[in-house]
Amino acid sequence: MIRSIFGLILVLVLGAIMVAVVPDIEYSEEIHGVGLHYTSQGMQETGSANLVTAVIVAYRGLDTLGEVVVLFCASTSVVLILSLYPLSLKVSRPSFIVAQTSRLLPAPILLLGLYLIAHSHLSPGGGFPGGAVIASAFLLVMLGGTGVPGSSRNLAAVESLAGLSFGLLGFWGVMKLGQFLNNLVLGTGTPGSLVSAGLIPLISLVIGIKVASELSSVFAAFRYKGGH
Amino acid sequence: MSDALFPVVAITMGIMMLAAGIAALYVRRLLSAIIIVAFVSLSASVLFLLMDATDVAVTEAAVGAVVSTMIFLWGRGKIGGDR
Repeated sequence: MIRSIFGLILVLVLGAIMVAVVPDIEYSEEIHGVGLHYTSQGMQETGSANLVTAVIVAYRGLDTLGEVVVLFCASTSVVLILSLYPLSLKVSRPSFIVAQTSRLLPAPILLLGLYLIAHSHLSPGGGFPGGAVIASAFLLVMLGGTGVPGSSRNLAAVESLAGLSFGLLGFWGVMKLGQFLNNLVLGTGTPGSLVSAGLIPLISLVIGIKVASELSSVFAAFRYKGGH
Repeated sequence: MSDALFPVVAITMGIMMLAAGIAALYVRRLLSAIIIVAFVSLSASVLFLLMDATDVAVTEAAVGAVVSTMIFLWGRGKIGGDR
């Protein structure tokens, strides 16, 4: 009873704050400030046809590195906690539909994930969604029981290697241009072609591998006792 | 999506998502709640798509609708089914 009253008060206070703050936010049709720079100069500066990826990976690359670190900490703690307290999960035999689907679908899903990563600078997608899609292909394989993803140690090795490569790609910028994660260590090329946009495709690939292996190890920690 | 139709679709989907969100709190079975949350995620993804935020839509569909649903489902398995 006290808990629900407390919850109600919390919700009311948060609602009051929202009502007070939201009308003061100014929305305008025209873009100004740093957004104007991104939309007018972004394509020439980064060579990326997808401006969202240009902002995420090139202009705000350091923030993305932080995001990757946060995701790493989260998945590590999940795997750690689940391996400390291995509760048994009753794994029943997959039904006919799941078993057949898990044979047919992982390959196209994997292809979609690779496409999302490889074309992150051209079309909607990028390292994070691509990695999640690839992990969901592995998830389907696990559900069908037709195979087991690599051991948790291999997954951790792949993940660490990808994280290390992200840092090294950043330091390449320091060595060459004196700036961490500078996108222009590689040429920008023609915007819209597959090989273009400087470091963006490489960083997307690294993020994709990292996210895919992290999510797979989380799945494996849930599915199998002690992570495998 | 034509400009005239967009507010109608967006508001309808918003009301559906709100109703589903409240239903997820009060529904008796945990499994039903998880599926309803997955529905909310998928609707959010469609809304992002209608608002031309395709990058966000792709991420929401992959992470919100698939990955988090699976983690919820297996978490439910770990704590021993519906309670």
